[in-house]
Amino acid sequence: MDQPQSFETQLAALLPRLRRFAHALSRDAADADDLTQASIERALRSKAQWEAGTRLDSWCYRIMRNLWIDTARARSRKNAREAPEEEGFDVGDDPRPGIEAAVDLQRVMAAMERLPDEQREVVALILVEGFGYREVAEMLGLPIGTVSSRLVRGRTALLAMVGES
Amino acid sequence: MNDDEKFFAWLDGELDPAEAAEMQARVAADPKLTELAEQHRAFGGRLKGAFDSVAEAPVPEHLTAALRPRGQVIDFASAKRARSMPPLAQWAAMAATLAVGVFIGTRVPEGTPVEVQGGKLYAAAALNEALDTELASAPTGDVRIALTYRNQAGEICRSFTAPAGSGVACRNGGRWQMKGLFAAPEGQGSDYRMAAGMDPNLAALIDSTMTGAPFDEAAEKAAREKGWR
Repeated sequence: MDQPQSFETQLAALLPRLRRFAHALSRDAADADDLTQASIERALRSKAQWEAGTRLDSWCYRIMRNLWIDTARARSRKNAREAPEEEGFDVGDDPRPGIEAAVDLQRVMAAMERLPDEQREVVALILVEGFGYREVAEMLGLPIGTVSSRLVRGRTALLAMVGES
Repeated sequence: MNDDEKFFAWLDGELDPAEAAEMQARVAADPKLTELAEQHRAFGGRLKGAFDSVAEAPVPEHLTAALRPRGQVIDFASAKRARSMPPLAQWAAMAATLAVGVFIGTRVPEGTPVEVQGGKLYAAAALNEALDTELASAPTGDVRIALTYRNQAGEICRSFTAPAGSGVACRNGGRWQMKGLFAAPEGQGSDYRMAAGMDPNLAALIDSTMTGAPFDEAAEKAAREKGWR
């Protein structure tokens, strides 16, 4: 195959996956699409820094993750001020069997939101996006042991929150 | 790596074969670990499934807008060809009215390179011929094949671009069934525009249905010889 595709075309093909990652990081769908939009814009502006032949997906995931980290600081300050207590621990109490995918998405997003950021990003990249430990270690610039231990804590906490329903 | 980490690394297929075999044996011998493995496998599937619903949903228009190719150089030679080809113009008009994968009505103008049979839309005429014979590696003519690949149903699919638009068709029952058809963006004189880049919606459609890697030249040739089965 010798059909060079434009940067924009390849980026467009990645959008469904990037949106999925954004949902795994964000607290709601609106935030997720804002993050996706900001990541697309950043990627287009930084286009010259991407080396053709290297993986565009890892590069884009890194952009999205860094943007999310930047906004996460502002967000946590805001959350600390607003602290919606009524949200509480009701995630996982839904007794209905066979929950619709959309409802399930809301529930897992709510549970993910409760994880510390450093666990959430590792869970999102490995359990949702399907990257290997080593790939994630390289992407985040962390030792693989750190990735592995954050993943254990994150997924254990999530299972406890969402339950086995 | 402590025992917990090793257990989960095993669950994720991250251990080397010797360590994995050892952990496998430990889990098999320990009902608690067996149950934990089952819980986490089920939970992992559920987590992935929930977020996959996002990846499977169409990407909102406002997100794809920035990636749409624009300001392209008009290729006057192909524009002229497009003008002299009423079928493609008609097809563009039709494609503009079609939603992805949803084809309403059965009245298709004569001479268009698509035809309806049994409520399904199939490639016809020049488009059918291009899908049957052209290689992505050796583009000729107005219809260019971009990618050949297998979809999740195991069918061979080929994406194409033409002056009027782009799309993807998959081999089904000895014919090329249209899976998506996208008119060149409006307001740019769709007849005048060779699709230099792939429509982002088409790219997303391909990305969500493709299994494995796109065919290389040898695989394309072999598939063509076997009648795209």
